[in-house]
Amino acid sequence: MPSANTKTEQPVKLTKHDLFQANWRWLWSSQICWNYERMMSTGYLFTMLPTLKKLYKNERDLIEMMKMHNQFFNTNAYVGGFIVGMDMAIEENKGRKAEETVAGLKAGLMGPFAGVGDTIVGVILPTIFGSIGAYMGLKGNPTGAILWLLVNFTVLILRFFLLPLGYSQGKKLIYAAGDKLNRITDAAILLGVTVVGALIPTVVSANVPLVFKTGKVALKAQTVLNQIMPSLVPVALVAFSYWLLGKKRMNSTRLIVLVLILGIVLGAFGIIGKS
Amino acid sequence: MAIAWWQILLLTMLAFWMIIDQITVGILANYPLLYGFIAGIIMGDVKTGLVVGATLQLMVLGVGTYGGASMPDFMTGAIIGTAYAVISGKGIDFAIGLAVPVGLLMVQLDVLARFTNTFFLHRVDRYIEKGDTKRVARNIVYGVFPWGLSRAIPVFVMLLVGNSVVQKIVNAMPEWLSKGLTAAGGILPVVGIAILLRFLPTKRFVSYLIIGFLAAAYLKIPMLGVALLGLALAIIYYKQSGHPSKNNHDQQDTHKGGFENAIGEYED
Repeated sequence: MPSANTKTEQPVKLTKHDLFQANWRWLWSSQICWNYERMMSTGYLFTMLPTLKKLYKNERDLIEMMKMHNQFFNTNAYVGGFIVGMDMAIEENKGRKAEETVAGLKAGLMGPFAGVGDTIVGVILPTIFGSIGAYMGLKGNPTGAILWLLVNFTVLILRFFLLPLGYSQGKKLIYAAGDKLNRITDAAILLGVTVVGALIPTVVSANVPLVFKTGKVALKAQTVLNQIMPSLVPVALVAFSYWLLGKKRMNSTRLIVLVLILGIVLGAFGIIGKS
Repeated sequence: MAIAWWQILLLTMLAFWMIIDQITVGILANYPLLYGFIAGIIMGDVKTGLVVGATLQLMVLGVGTYGGASMPDFMTGAIIGTAYAVISGKGIDFAIGLAVPVGLLMVQLDVLARFTNTFFLHRVDRYIEKGDTKRVARNIVYGVFPWGLSRAIPVFVMLLVGNSVVQKIVNAMPEWLSKGLTAAGGILPVVGIAILLRFLPTKRFVSYLIIGFLAAAYLKIPMLGVALLGLALAIIYYKQSGHPSKNNHDQQDTHKGGFENAIGEYED
Protein backbone atom coordinates (compact mmCIF):
# COMPACT_ATOMS: atom_id res chain seq x y z
CA MET A 1 0.00 0.00 0.00
CA PRO A 2 1.70 3.19 -1.18
CA SER A 3 1.59 5.73 1.57
CA ALA A 4 -0.36 8.94 1.11
CA ASN A 5 2.37 10.78 2.91
CA THR A 6 4.93 11.44 0.19
CA LYS A 7 6.80 14.15 2.11
CA THR A 8 9.73 11.92 2.97
CA GLU A 9 11.89 15.02 3.33
CA GLN A 10 10.14 15.73 6.62
CA PRO A 11 12.75 14.68 9.23
CA VAL A 12 11.57 12.00 11.61
CA LYS A 13 13.24 11.99 15.01
CA LEU A 14 14.13 8.80 16.78
CA THR A 15 13.26 8.74 20.47
CA LYS A 16 14.75 7.04 23.49
CA HIS A 17 12.03 4.47 23.16
CA ASP A 18 13.19 3.63 19.63
CA LEU A 19 16.73 3.13 20.90
CA PHE A 20 15.51 0.91 23.70
CA GLN A 21 13.41 -1.13 21.30
CA ALA A 22 16.37 -1.66 18.98
CA ASN A 23 18.56 -2.59 21.94
CA TRP A 24 16.04 -5.11 23.17
CA ARG A 25 15.60 -6.59 19.72
CA TRP A 26 19.36 -6.82 19.13
CA LEU A 27 19.75 -8.69 22.40
CA TRP A 28 17.19 -11.36 21.51
CA SER A 29 17.32 -11.56 17.76
CA SER A 30 20.84 -10.85 16.55
CA GLN A 31 21.63 -14.53 16.03
CA ILE A 32 18.19 -16.09 16.32
CA CYS A 33 18.03 -16.91 12.62
CA TRP A 34 21.78 -17.35 12.14
CA ASN A 35 22.48 -19.32 8.97
CA TYR A 36 25.42 -20.28 6.81
CA GLU A 37 24.41 -18.08 3.91
CA ARG A 38 24.23 -14.60 5.44
CA MET A 39 24.89 -15.33 9.11
CA MET A 40 23.48 -12.44 11.21
CA SER A 41 21.75 -10.55 8.39
CA THR A 42 18.24 -11.47 9.54
CA GLY A 43 19.01 -10.47 13.11
CA TYR A 44 20.22 -7.08 12.01
CA LEU A 45 17.11 -6.61 9.87
CA PHE A 46 14.82 -7.62 12.73
CA THR A 47 16.56 -5.12 15.02
CA MET A 48 16.16 -2.29 12.51
CA LEU A 49 12.57 -3.07 11.43
CA PRO A 50 10.73 -0.62 13.73
CA THR A 51 13.23 2.13 12.88
CA LEU A 52 12.90 1.45 9.17
CA LYS A 53 9.12 1.52 9.35
CA LYS A 54 9.30 4.84 11.17
CA LEU A 55 11.83 6.47 8.84
CA TYR A 56 10.67 5.25 5.42
CA LYS A 57 7.04 6.00 4.75
CA ASN A 58 7.47 5.33 1.04
CA GLU A 59 7.05 1.61 0.44
CA ARG A 60 9.78 1.38 -2.23
CA ASP A 61 12.31 2.97 0.14
CA LEU A 62 11.30 0.61 2.90
CA ILE A 63 11.73 -2.45 0.67
CA GLU A 64 15.12 -1.32 -0.63
CA MET A 65 16.42 -0.60 2.87
CA MET A 66 15.12 -3.96 4.14
CA LYS A 67 16.98 -5.64 1.28
CA MET A 68 20.17 -3.78 2.15
CA HIS A 69 19.93 -4.78 5.80
CA ASN A 70 19.36 -8.42 4.91
CA GLN A 71 22.81 -8.70 3.32
CA PHE A 72 25.68 -10.65 4.85
CA PHE A 73 26.55 -9.47 8.32
CA ASN A 74 28.54 -11.13 11.07
CA THR A 75 30.09 -9.65 14.16
CA ASN A 76 30.25 -10.30 17.88
CA ALA A 77 26.72 -10.01 19.29
CA TYR A 78 27.92 -8.53 22.59
CA VAL A 79 29.47 -5.44 21.04
CA GLY A 80 27.53 -5.26 17.75
CA GLY A 81 24.91 -2.98 19.29
CA PHE A 82 27.37 -0.14 18.88
CA ILE A 83 27.21 -0.54 15.09
CA VAL A 84 23.40 -0.56 15.16
CA GLY A 85 23.42 2.67 17.19
CA MET A 86 25.70 4.42 14.71
CA ASP A 87 23.60 3.16 11.83
CA MET A 88 20.43 4.54 13.42
CA ALA A 89 22.00 7.97 13.90
CA ILE A 90 23.10 8.10 10.25
CA GLU A 91 19.81 6.87 8.79
CA GLU A 92 17.88 9.29 10.98
CA ASN A 93 19.79 12.22 9.51
CA LYS A 94 20.38 11.15 5.92
CA GLY A 95 17.55 8.72 5.25
CA ARG A 96 17.63 6.64 2.08
CA LYS A 97 20.58 8.66 0.75
CA ALA A 98 22.71 6.97 3.40
CA GLU A 99 22.10 3.51 1.94
CA GLU A 100 25.63 3.05 0.63
CA THR A 101 27.23 4.72 3.63
CA VAL A 102 25.43 2.39 5.99
CA ALA A 103 26.22 -0.70 3.94
CA GLY A 104 29.89 0.32 3.95
CA LEU A 105 29.87 1.12 7.63
CA LYS A 106 28.38 -2.26 8.50
CA ALA A 107 30.86 -4.14 6.33
CA GLY A 108 33.79 -2.11 7.59
CA LEU A 109 33.09 -2.32 11.30
CA MET A 110 31.83 -5.87 11.70
CA GLY A 111 35.35 -7.31 11.51
CA PRO A 112 37.10 -5.08 14.05
CA PHE A 113 34.17 -5.36 16.45
CA ALA A 114 34.15 -9.12 16.09
CA GLY A 115 37.86 -9.20 16.89
CA VAL A 116 37.57 -7.19 20.09
CA GLY A 117 34.31 -8.81 21.24
CA ASP A 118 35.35 -12.39 20.50
CA THR A 119 38.66 -11.95 22.26
CA ILE A 120 37.46 -10.23 25.41
CA VAL A 121 33.91 -11.52 25.89
CA GLY A 122 34.29 -14.78 24.00
CA VAL A 123 37.63 -15.99 25.29
CA ILE A 124 39.26 -13.92 28.02
CA LEU A 125 36.28 -13.59 30.38
CA PRO A 126 35.40 -17.30 30.10
CA THR A 127 39.06 -18.16 30.57
CA ILE A 128 39.36 -16.20 33.79
CA PHE A 129 35.98 -16.93 35.35
CA GLY A 130 35.53 -20.35 33.75
CA SER A 131 38.94 -21.36 35.11
CA ILE A 132 38.22 -20.12 38.61
CA GLY A 133 34.76 -21.74 38.46
CA ALA A 134 36.13 -25.04 37.17
CA TYR A 135 39.00 -25.02 39.70
CA MET A 136 36.51 -24.69 42.55
CA GLY A 137 33.93 -26.89 40.81
CA LEU A 138 36.33 -29.83 40.62
CA LYS A 139 36.21 -29.86 44.42
CA GLY A 140 32.42 -29.59 44.42
CA ASN A 141 32.45 -25.93 45.46
CA PRO A 142 29.83 -23.86 43.58
CA THR A 143 31.22 -20.42 44.60
CA GLY A 144 33.19 -19.99 41.39
CA ALA A 145 30.24 -21.05 39.23
CA ILE A 146 27.98 -18.53 40.96
CA LEU A 147 30.64 -15.83 40.62
CA TRP A 148 30.75 -16.47 36.87
CA LEU A 149 26.95 -16.26 36.73
CA LEU A 150 27.10 -12.82 38.37
CA VAL A 151 29.78 -11.68 35.93
CA ASN A 152 27.55 -12.74 33.02
CA PHE A 153 24.68 -10.72 34.47
CA THR A 154 26.97 -7.71 34.73
CA VAL A 155 28.07 -8.11 31.12
CA LEU A 156 24.40 -8.36 30.12
CA ILE A 157 23.68 -5.01 31.76
CA LEU A 158 26.77 -3.36 30.29
CA ARG A 159 25.76 -4.49 26.81
CA PHE A 160 22.76 -2.21 27.03
CA PHE A 161 24.91 0.92 27.05
CA LEU A 162 26.67 0.19 23.77
CA LEU A 163 23.85 0.91 21.33
CA PRO A 164 22.98 4.34 22.80
CA LEU A 165 26.72 5.08 22.93
CA GLY A 166 27.04 4.27 19.24
CA TYR A 167 24.01 6.45 18.52
CA SER A 168 25.34 9.48 20.37
CA GLN A 169 29.00 9.21 19.49
CA GLY A 170 28.70 8.16 15.89
CA LYS A 171 31.65 7.20 13.80
CA LYS A 172 34.37 9.21 15.47
CA LEU A 173 34.54 7.22 18.66
CA ILE A 174 35.66 3.89 17.30
CA TYR A 175 38.62 5.40 15.50
CA ALA A 176 39.64 7.52 18.46
CA ALA A 177 39.29 4.59 20.82
CA GLY A 178 41.09 2.16 18.53
CA ASP A 179 44.46 2.36 20.25
CA LYS A 180 42.95 2.36 23.73
CA LEU A 181 40.84 -0.64 22.82
CA ASN A 182 43.93 -2.52 21.64
CA ARG A 183 45.71 -1.80 24.90
CA ILE A 184 42.74 -2.97 26.93
CA THR A 185 42.51 -6.13 24.84
CA ASP A 186 46.23 -6.76 25.33
CA ALA A 187 46.02 -6.22 29.08
CA ALA A 188 43.06 -8.60 29.24
CA ILE A 189 44.99 -11.23 27.26
CA LEU A 190 47.92 -10.85 29.64
CA LEU A 191 45.64 -11.51 32.60
CA GLY A 192 44.16 -14.51 30.81
CA VAL A 193 47.58 -15.98 30.02
CA THR A 194 48.65 -15.62 33.67
CA VAL A 195 45.57 -17.55 34.80
CA VAL A 196 46.21 -20.26 32.21
CA GLY A 197 49.74 -20.64 33.56
CA ALA A 198 48.27 -21.37 36.97
CA LEU A 199 45.71 -23.76 35.50
CA ILE A 200 48.31 -26.23 34.29
CA PRO A 201 49.53 -27.41 37.70
CA THR A 202 46.13 -27.14 39.43
CA VAL A 203 43.56 -28.75 37.15
CA VAL A 204 45.53 -31.29 35.13
CA SER A 205 45.67 -34.28 37.37
CA ALA A 206 48.29 -36.83 36.35
CA ASN A 207 51.06 -38.67 38.10
CA VAL A 208 53.20 -41.69 37.31
CA PRO A 209 52.44 -44.46 39.80
CA LEU A 210 55.24 -46.72 38.51
CA VAL A 211 57.66 -48.14 41.06
CA PHE A 212 61.08 -49.50 40.03
CA LYS A 213 62.71 -52.07 42.28
CA THR A 214 66.44 -52.71 42.22
CA GLY A 215 67.35 -55.14 44.95
CA LYS A 216 65.95 -53.78 48.19
CA VAL A 217 65.56 -50.19 47.01
CA ALA A 218 62.17 -49.19 45.62
CA LEU A 219 62.25 -46.09 43.45
CA LYS A 220 59.02 -44.23 42.95
CA ALA A 221 58.95 -42.60 39.53
CA GLN A 222 56.82 -39.69 40.69
CA THR A 223 59.30 -38.77 43.45
CA VAL A 224 62.07 -38.48 40.88
CA LEU A 225 59.88 -36.38 38.60
CA ASN A 226 58.92 -34.08 41.46
CA GLN A 227 62.58 -33.38 42.14
CA ILE A 228 63.01 -32.10 38.63
CA MET A 229 59.93 -29.88 38.68
CA PRO A 230 56.48 -29.98 40.24
CA SER A 231 53.72 -30.87 37.78
CA LEU A 232 56.20 -32.07 35.18
CA VAL A 233 53.74 -34.51 33.58
CA PRO A 234 50.95 -31.90 33.12
CA VAL A 235 53.45 -29.44 31.64
CA ALA A 236 54.78 -32.07 29.23
CA LEU A 237 51.25 -33.05 28.18
CA VAL A 238 50.25 -29.43 27.55
CA ALA A 239 53.42 -28.81 25.54
CA PHE A 240 52.79 -31.98 23.52
CA SER A 241 49.17 -30.98 22.79
CA TYR A 242 50.24 -27.45 21.88
CA TRP A 243 52.81 -28.84 19.47
CA LEU A 244 50.27 -31.25 17.96
CA LEU A 245 47.81 -28.42 17.34
CA GLY A 246 50.41 -26.75 15.17
CA LYS A 247 50.36 -29.73 12.80
CA LYS A 248 48.45 -29.32 9.58
CA ARG A 249 45.91 -32.10 9.92
CA MET A 250 45.24 -31.59 13.61
CA ASN A 251 42.20 -29.77 14.98
CA SER A 252 40.53 -29.46 18.37
CA THR A 253 38.09 -32.33 17.84
CA ARG A 254 40.82 -34.75 16.77
CA LEU A 255 42.97 -33.68 19.69
CA ILE A 256 40.15 -34.39 22.17
CA VAL A 257 39.66 -37.89 20.76
CA LEU A 258 43.41 -38.51 20.72
CA VAL A 259 43.95 -37.43 24.34
CA LEU A 260 40.90 -39.41 25.45
CA ILE A 261 42.30 -42.58 23.87
CA LEU A 262 45.81 -41.84 25.14
CA GLY A 263 44.44 -41.38 28.66
CA ILE A 264 42.46 -44.62 28.55
CA VAL A 265 45.41 -46.63 27.25
CA LEU A 266 48.01 -45.18 29.63
CA GLY A 267 45.55 -45.44 32.51
CA ALA A 268 44.64 -49.04 31.74
CA PHE A 269 48.32 -50.03 31.80
CA GLY A 270 48.88 -48.10 35.01
CA ILE A 271 51.47 -45.75 33.51
CA ILE A 272 49.46 -42.64 34.36
CA GLY A 273 47.08 -42.21 37.27
CA LYS A 274 44.87 -39.48 38.59
CA SER A 275 46.73 -37.81 41.44
CA MET B 1 18.32 -44.35 40.81
CA ALA B 2 15.73 -44.04 38.05
CA ILE B 3 15.11 -40.68 36.47
CA ALA B 4 11.70 -39.07 37.10
CA TRP B 5 9.55 -37.71 34.27
CA TRP B 6 9.80 -34.16 35.60
CA GLN B 7 13.57 -34.41 35.60
CA ILE B 8 13.52 -35.45 31.94
CA LEU B 9 11.22 -32.50 31.22
CA LEU B 10 13.40 -29.98 33.06
CA LEU B 11 16.62 -31.23 31.48
CA THR B 12 15.02 -31.08 28.02
CA MET B 13 13.95 -27.51 28.68
CA LEU B 14 17.46 -26.73 29.91
CA ALA B 15 18.84 -28.11 26.63
CA PHE B 16 16.46 -25.93 24.61
CA TRP B 17 17.33 -22.85 26.64
CA MET B 18 21.04 -23.70 26.47
CA ILE B 19 21.44 -22.80 22.82
CA ILE B 20 18.99 -19.88 22.98
CA ASP B 21 20.92 -18.46 25.93
CA GLN B 22 24.15 -18.67 23.95
CA ILE B 23 22.83 -16.69 21.02
CA THR B 24 20.96 -14.13 23.13
CA VAL B 25 21.58 -13.10 26.74
CA GLY B 26 24.61 -15.28 27.47
CA ILE B 27 23.88 -15.67 31.18
CA LEU B 28 24.88 -19.34 31.31
CA ALA B 29 27.59 -18.77 28.67
CA ASN B 30 28.52 -21.15 25.89
CA TYR B 31 30.67 -23.28 28.14
CA PRO B 32 29.74 -26.45 30.06
CA LEU B 33 30.41 -25.49 33.70
CA LEU B 34 27.09 -23.82 34.52
CA TYR B 35 25.05 -26.44 32.63
CA GLY B 36 26.63 -29.19 34.70
CA PHE B 37 25.86 -27.14 37.80
CA ILE B 38 22.17 -26.68 36.89
CA ALA B 39 21.76 -30.27 35.68
CA GLY B 40 23.23 -31.28 39.05
CA ILE B 41 20.60 -29.23 40.86
CA ILE B 42 17.82 -30.85 38.78
CA MET B 43 19.21 -34.34 39.41
CA GLY B 44 19.57 -33.63 43.12
CA ASP B 45 23.37 -34.06 43.12
CA VAL B 46 25.01 -30.66 42.81
CA LYS B 47 28.51 -31.93 43.45
CA THR B 48 28.44 -34.45 40.61
CA GLY B 49 27.03 -31.84 38.25
CA LEU B 50 29.72 -29.35 39.19
CA VAL B 51 32.58 -31.79 38.77
CA VAL B 52 31.26 -33.02 35.41
CA GLY B 53 30.75 -29.43 34.24
CA ALA B 54 34.16 -28.35 35.52
CA THR B 55 36.02 -31.22 33.87
CA LEU B 56 34.34 -30.57 30.52
CA GLN B 57 34.84 -26.83 30.97
CA LEU B 58 38.59 -27.28 31.15
CA MET B 59 38.59 -29.28 27.92
CA VAL B 60 36.96 -26.57 25.87
CA LEU B 61 38.42 -23.41 27.40
CA GLY B 62 39.82 -22.15 24.16
CA VAL B 63 37.28 -23.51 21.73
CA GLY B 64 35.34 -20.48 20.62
CA THR B 65 32.16 -20.93 18.62
CA TYR B 66 32.65 -17.67 16.81
CA GLY B 67 32.66 -16.87 13.15
CA GLY B 68 30.23 -19.68 12.47
CA ALA B 69 32.52 -22.58 13.31
CA SER B 70 30.88 -25.44 15.15
CA MET B 71 32.52 -26.73 18.29
CA PRO B 72 32.02 -29.94 20.25
CA ASP B 73 28.80 -29.40 22.17
CA PHE B 74 29.95 -30.20 25.69
CA MET B 75 27.04 -28.22 27.13
CA THR B 76 24.72 -31.00 25.99
CA GLY B 77 27.47 -33.38 27.08
CA ALA B 78 27.39 -31.87 30.57
CA ILE B 79 23.61 -32.27 30.84
CA ILE B 80 23.62 -35.88 29.63
CA GLY B 81 26.79 -36.78 31.51
CA THR B 82 25.47 -35.43 34.81
CA ALA B 83 22.11 -37.16 34.39
CA TYR B 84 23.72 -40.51 33.56
CA ALA B 85 26.29 -40.23 36.33
CA VAL B 86 23.48 -39.85 38.86
CA ILE B 87 21.27 -42.55 37.27
CA SER B 88 24.08 -45.09 37.11
CA GLY B 89 25.73 -44.17 40.39
CA LYS B 90 29.02 -44.78 38.59
CA GLY B 91 30.46 -41.36 39.26
CA ILE B 92 32.35 -38.69 37.40
CA ASP B 93 34.67 -40.69 35.17
CA PHE B 94 31.80 -42.68 33.74
CA ALA B 95 30.01 -39.37 33.05
CA ILE B 96 33.00 -37.91 31.23
CA GLY B 97 33.38 -41.08 29.17
CA LEU B 98 29.79 -40.58 27.98
CA ALA B 99 29.77 -36.80 27.72
CA VAL B 100 32.72 -36.59 25.32
CA PRO B 101 31.22 -38.78 22.54
CA VAL B 102 27.82 -37.11 23.04
CA GLY B 103 29.43 -33.69 22.69
CA LEU B 104 31.27 -34.74 19.55
CA LEU B 105 28.15 -36.22 17.93
CA MET B 106 26.11 -33.13 18.71
CA VAL B 107 28.26 -31.03 16.38
CA GLN B 108 26.37 -32.55 13.46
CA LEU B 109 23.06 -31.26 14.81
CA ASP B 110 24.51 -27.79 15.29
CA VAL B 111 25.44 -27.81 11.62
CA LEU B 112 21.92 -28.99 10.75
CA ALA B 113 20.32 -26.14 12.72
CA ARG B 114 22.52 -23.51 11.12
CA PHE B 115 21.69 -24.98 7.73
CA THR B 116 17.93 -25.19 8.33
CA ASN B 117 17.75 -21.48 9.11
CA THR B 118 18.73 -20.76 5.51
CA PHE B 119 15.18 -21.88 4.64
CA PHE B 120 13.72 -19.06 6.74
CA LEU B 121 16.23 -16.60 5.29
CA HIS B 122 14.84 -17.21 1.83
CA ARG B 123 11.27 -16.79 3.03
CA VAL B 124 12.35 -13.48 4.56
CA ASP B 125 13.76 -12.45 1.18
CA ARG B 126 10.40 -13.22 -0.46
CA TYR B 127 8.36 -11.20 2.05
CA ILE B 128 10.75 -8.25 1.81
CA GLU B 129 9.96 -8.13 -1.90
CA LYS B 130 6.26 -7.89 -1.03
CA GLY B 131 6.88 -5.28 1.67
CA ASP B 132 5.21 -7.53 4.21
CA THR B 133 7.05 -6.51 7.39
CA LYS B 134 4.90 -8.67 9.66
CA ARG B 135 5.84 -11.87 7.87
CA VAL B 136 9.47 -10.77 7.57
CA ALA B 137 9.63 -10.45 11.34
CA ARG B 138 7.77 -13.70 11.95
CA ASN B 139 10.05 -15.78 9.75
CA ILE B 140 13.14 -14.44 11.47
CA VAL B 141 11.75 -15.45 14.85
CA TYR B 142 11.02 -18.97 13.54
CA GLY B 143 14.79 -19.48 13.61
CA VAL B 144 14.39 -20.23 17.30
CA PHE B 145 12.96 -23.69 16.52
CA PRO B 146 15.83 -25.23 14.53
CA TRP B 147 18.19 -23.90 17.19
CA GLY B 148 16.29 -25.06 20.26
CA LEU B 149 15.00 -28.38 18.95
CA SER B 150 18.42 -29.41 17.66
CA ARG B 151 19.44 -29.67 21.34
CA ALA B 152 16.16 -30.49 23.06
CA ILE B 153 15.14 -33.52 20.95
CA PRO B 154 18.40 -35.50 21.32
CA VAL B 155 18.52 -34.83 25.07
CA PHE B 156 14.90 -35.92 25.46
CA VAL B 157 15.46 -39.11 23.50
CA MET B 158 18.72 -39.98 25.26
CA LEU B 159 17.14 -39.50 28.69
CA LEU B 160 14.04 -41.45 27.72
CA VAL B 161 16.00 -44.54 26.71
CA GLY B 162 18.50 -43.78 29.48
CA ASN B 163 17.46 -45.94 32.39
CA SER B 164 17.74 -49.34 30.81
CA VAL B 165 20.54 -48.59 28.37
CA VAL B 166 22.76 -46.99 30.98
CA GLN B 167 22.44 -49.96 33.28
CA LYS B 168 23.44 -52.27 30.44
CA ILE B 169 26.50 -50.16 29.62
CA VAL B 170 27.49 -50.04 33.28
CA ASN B 171 27.23 -53.80 33.67
CA ALA B 172 29.24 -54.44 30.51
CA MET B 173 32.10 -52.07 31.43
CA PRO B 174 35.35 -53.92 32.19
CA GLU B 175 37.62 -52.82 35.01
CA TRP B 176 40.52 -51.68 32.79
CA LEU B 177 38.18 -49.30 31.00
CA SER B 178 37.00 -47.57 34.15
CA LYS B 179 40.62 -47.29 35.27
CA GLY B 180 41.52 -45.82 31.89
CA LEU B 181 38.61 -43.40 31.96
CA THR B 182 39.73 -42.15 35.36
CA ALA B 183 43.17 -41.34 33.99
CA ALA B 184 41.70 -39.80 30.85
CA GLY B 185 39.42 -37.58 32.96
CA GLY B 186 42.49 -36.32 34.76
CA ILE B 187 44.48 -35.34 31.68
CA LEU B 188 41.70 -34.12 29.35
CA PRO B 189 42.00 -30.51 30.59
CA VAL B 190 45.32 -30.26 28.71
CA VAL B 191 43.29 -30.12 25.49
CA GLY B 192 41.43 -26.97 26.54
CA ILE B 193 44.61 -25.35 27.79
CA ALA B 194 46.54 -26.16 24.61
CA ILE B 195 43.76 -24.86 22.34
CA LEU B 196 43.56 -21.68 24.38
CA LEU B 197 47.30 -21.16 24.17
CA ARG B 198 47.08 -21.58 20.39
CA PHE B 199 44.30 -19.01 20.21
CA LEU B 200 46.01 -16.40 22.35
CA PRO B 201 49.20 -14.62 21.24
CA THR B 202 51.05 -16.81 23.74
CA LYS B 203 54.52 -16.25 22.33
CA ARG B 204 54.24 -12.54 23.07
CA PHE B 205 53.02 -13.15 26.61
CA VAL B 206 54.96 -16.31 27.47
CA SER B 207 56.62 -14.68 30.49
CA TYR B 208 53.20 -14.24 32.11
CA LEU B 209 52.40 -17.89 31.46
CA ILE B 210 55.52 -18.80 33.43
CA ILE B 211 54.67 -16.35 36.20
CA GLY B 212 51.20 -17.89 36.54
CA PHE B 213 52.69 -21.38 36.62
CA LEU B 214 55.32 -20.44 39.21
CA ALA B 215 52.70 -18.83 41.45
CA ALA B 216 50.51 -21.92 41.42
CA ALA B 217 53.01 -24.79 41.21
CA TYR B 218 55.78 -23.54 43.50
CA LEU B 219 54.16 -20.88 45.67
CA LYS B 220 50.82 -22.74 45.88
CA ILE B 221 48.83 -19.53 45.49
CA PRO B 222 45.13 -20.37 44.96
CA MET B 223 43.49 -19.54 41.63
CA LEU B 224 41.79 -16.34 42.77
CA GLY B 225 45.11 -15.08 44.09
CA VAL B 226 46.79 -15.76 40.76
CA ALA B 227 43.97 -13.91 39.00
CA LEU B 228 44.62 -10.91 41.25
CA LEU B 229 48.34 -11.09 40.48
CA GLY B 230 47.45 -11.18 36.79
CA LEU B 231 45.15 -8.19 37.25
CA ALA B 232 47.98 -6.20 38.86
CA LEU B 233 50.30 -7.08 35.97
CA ALA B 234 47.59 -6.16 33.47
CA ILE B 235 47.13 -2.72 35.04
CA ILE B 236 50.87 -2.12 34.97
CA TYR B 237 51.00 -3.19 31.31
CA TYR B 238 48.07 -0.94 30.39
CA LYS B 239 49.63 2.10 32.03
CA GLN B 240 53.07 1.46 30.58
CA SER B 241 51.82 0.85 27.05
CA GLY B 242 50.17 4.29 27.15
CA HIS B 243 53.56 5.86 26.55
CA PRO B 244 53.98 6.28 22.82
CA SER B 245 57.61 5.15 22.80
CA LYS B 246 56.71 1.73 24.17
CA ASN B 247 53.75 1.25 21.94
CA ASN B 248 55.44 0.40 18.68
CA HIS B 249 54.63 -3.26 18.08
CA ASP B 250 51.90 -3.91 15.58
CA GLN B 251 49.15 -5.24 17.79
CA GLN B 252 46.55 -5.29 15.09
CA ASP B 253 48.45 -7.88 13.11
CA THR B 254 48.92 -10.22 16.02
CA HIS B 255 45.23 -10.25 16.82
CA LYS B 256 44.13 -10.79 13.29
CA GLY B 257 46.55 -13.67 12.90
CA GLY B 258 45.46 -15.39 16.06
CA PHE B 259 41.81 -15.04 15.27
CA GLU B 260 41.92 -16.34 11.75
CA ASN B 261 44.21 -19.11 12.80
CA ALA B 262 41.67 -20.23 15.36
CA ILE B 263 38.81 -20.18 12.91
CA GLY B 264 40.79 -21.99 10.29
CA GLU B 265 41.76 -24.70 12.72
CA TYR B 266 38.40 -25.34 14.27
CA GLU B 267 36.33 -25.35 11.17
CA ASP B 268 36.13 -28.96 10.21
